Amino acid sequence: MITKEEVLKIAKLAKLSVNNDEIDMLIEDMSKIIEYADAINTVTEDEDNEVEFYNINNSANAFNEDIVIDSYDRDEILKNREGGEKGYFVIRKRHRG
Amino acid sequence: MSKIKYIQKLLKAKEVSCVELTKNYLNNIEKQNKALNAYVNVTGGEAIKTAKKVDEKIAAGEELMPLEGIPMSLKDNISTKDIETTCCSKMLKGYYPIYDATVWEILKNQNSVLLGKTNMDEFAMGSSCETSIFGTTLNPHNTDYVAGGSSGGAAASVAGNMAAFGLGSDTGGSIRQPASFCGIVGFKPTYGTVSRYGVVAYASSLDQVGPITDSVEDAAIVYDCLSLYDPKDSTSIGSKTGTCDKLHNSIKGLKIGIADEYFEGINEDIISSIEEAIKVYQDAGAEIVNFEIPKLKAFLPVYFIIACAEASSNLGRFDGIRYGYKTDSYNDVNDMICKNRSEGFGKEVQKRILLGTYALSSGYYDAYYKKAQNLRYSIIQDFKNIFKSCDVIITPSVPVTAFKKGEALTDPIATYMMDICTVPANIAGLPAISVPCGFDKNKMPIGMQIIGNSFEDYKVFNAAYQYEKQTKKSDEISPYPEVKI
Repeated sequence: MITKEEVLKIAKLAKLSVNNDEIDMLIEDMSKIIEYADAINTVTEDEDNEVEFYNINNSANAFNEDIVIDSYDRDEILKNREGGEKGYFVIRKRHRG
Repeated sequence: MSKIKYIQKLLKAKEVSCVELTKNYLNNIEKQNKALNAYVNVTGGEAIKTAKKVDEKIAAGEELMPLEGIPMSLKDNISTKDIETTCCSKMLKGYYPIYDATVWEILKNQNSVLLGKTNMDEFAMGSSCETSIFGTTLNPHNTDYVAGGSSGGAAASVAGNMAAFGLGSDTGGSIRQPASFCGIVGFKPTYGTVSRYGVVAYASSLDQVGPITDSVEDAAIVYDCLSLYDPKDSTSIGSKTGTCDKLHNSIKGLKIGIADEYFEGINEDIISSIEEAIKVYQDAGAEIVNFEIPKLKAFLPVYFIIACAEASSNLGRFDGIRYGYKTDSYNDVNDMICKNRSEGFGKEVQKRILLGTYALSSGYYDAYYKKAQNLRYSIIQDFKNIFKSCDVIITPSVPVTAFKKGEALTDPIATYMMDICTVPANIAGLPAISVPCGFDKNKMPIGMQIIGNSFEDYKVFNAAYQYEKQTKKSDEISPYPEVKI
């Protein structure tokens, strides 16, 4: 069973705020799922077989050649945010809507 | 049997123009999308423009590329430059990508006619499109039932004759499950054969893009066009071989693996349909190989832990600063980010981010994430061994047929259990297809899943095509899509 304190700590790490009216439901749901996930700890493997997984196709890291190429246009990128100016995203320190 | 080939034949013979064809599809969308809710954004103007280009090429006597002029749909997590891409989340409402996903770039270069973006569970997290901010997609076979998910819109667009093919994405069954529910074909390729660049990530090591189509041959045609190496995706490999040219290979002597574990707790109508399908294979000369897969019950938790952990990391980018949902009032920057995320993401998405963060956090990492990754390695080895004695594996696609709207959201574990047959292919990166194989007592479609070894996508297509050839009527194609409901 996950505790209220644990849920709040995890939420802080995940940058999510959890309302008081939803926390009980969330604790119940998460506890059920974690209990279910515990099934993996019932599967025992020979220690020799315990190999950490890296990637599916055993492929090596793919690196691009270090060549300068055109990137996206700054103004294009700023289009998705109103108030973008002089090549920057504008964030007010605090805001009252 | 192939709708894509048939449409191109008509276009080349000038029996129908691409503009007429596109208008027919757009009319059909107009008539039935309100009831089915397959599309969340219809791009009719652009579609007609592309269709005109195709007609000009035909008039000039130019050759057509394999998917040229074919009206199709894209799931709304596939980035489309200057076309809103929302992942059906409040978080991305009003987001216009500045680049195309590679899969869309390939289709665009072929002048495929994009009819619109299709509905999905929010950030692909769900099995029924019920977590979409646009509401549930309903099943063209019976609108009391859901179309499935998360690529439910893509499946309904094809099954409802509102697109000749659709692209979906599959992290734990999100192409195969809705294809099964809607009585059509859905294919999840070998991991790494189709580029993920520009596809909004849910769980990067499990996600693959694939086709949803009317027939196996159509799926093979689309897959052959998409399975190219892409330098923009660091996990891209591309396909080592084509699949269309191997569809007609004989399946005499094909070894089909069957494991009892896959049939435990499965609806009886589904079991008898699959048994009949296996007889079709035996009659065609295939051999049945029985094998055991004792760890199957642990597959779902392994999948769920890895998927949530990767989601918690991938969805960390959505802070509402550069794009996406922005809150009205906040006290400081940290408060702003928390509010953007909490108000922008839906409940299911937040729950999965929290579970993933939990599995990755100090004190729980070894027991959950590391253990799941170790088990993943041993599952991959198990499949490698299984494929030493068989060519493909046959299982049900889903333990149930389509359920009624609202039935899925009550019990989270029961909902996740629906993915039991589909997740193994994602965990091990294997190719898998869902093909229709009958109907249940409520006349809702049943799907059979064929899984192959990595990079043997062609064997999966070959086995599926040979089954379809024996069982599907060949006179079901119309370039003038009829309204289904």
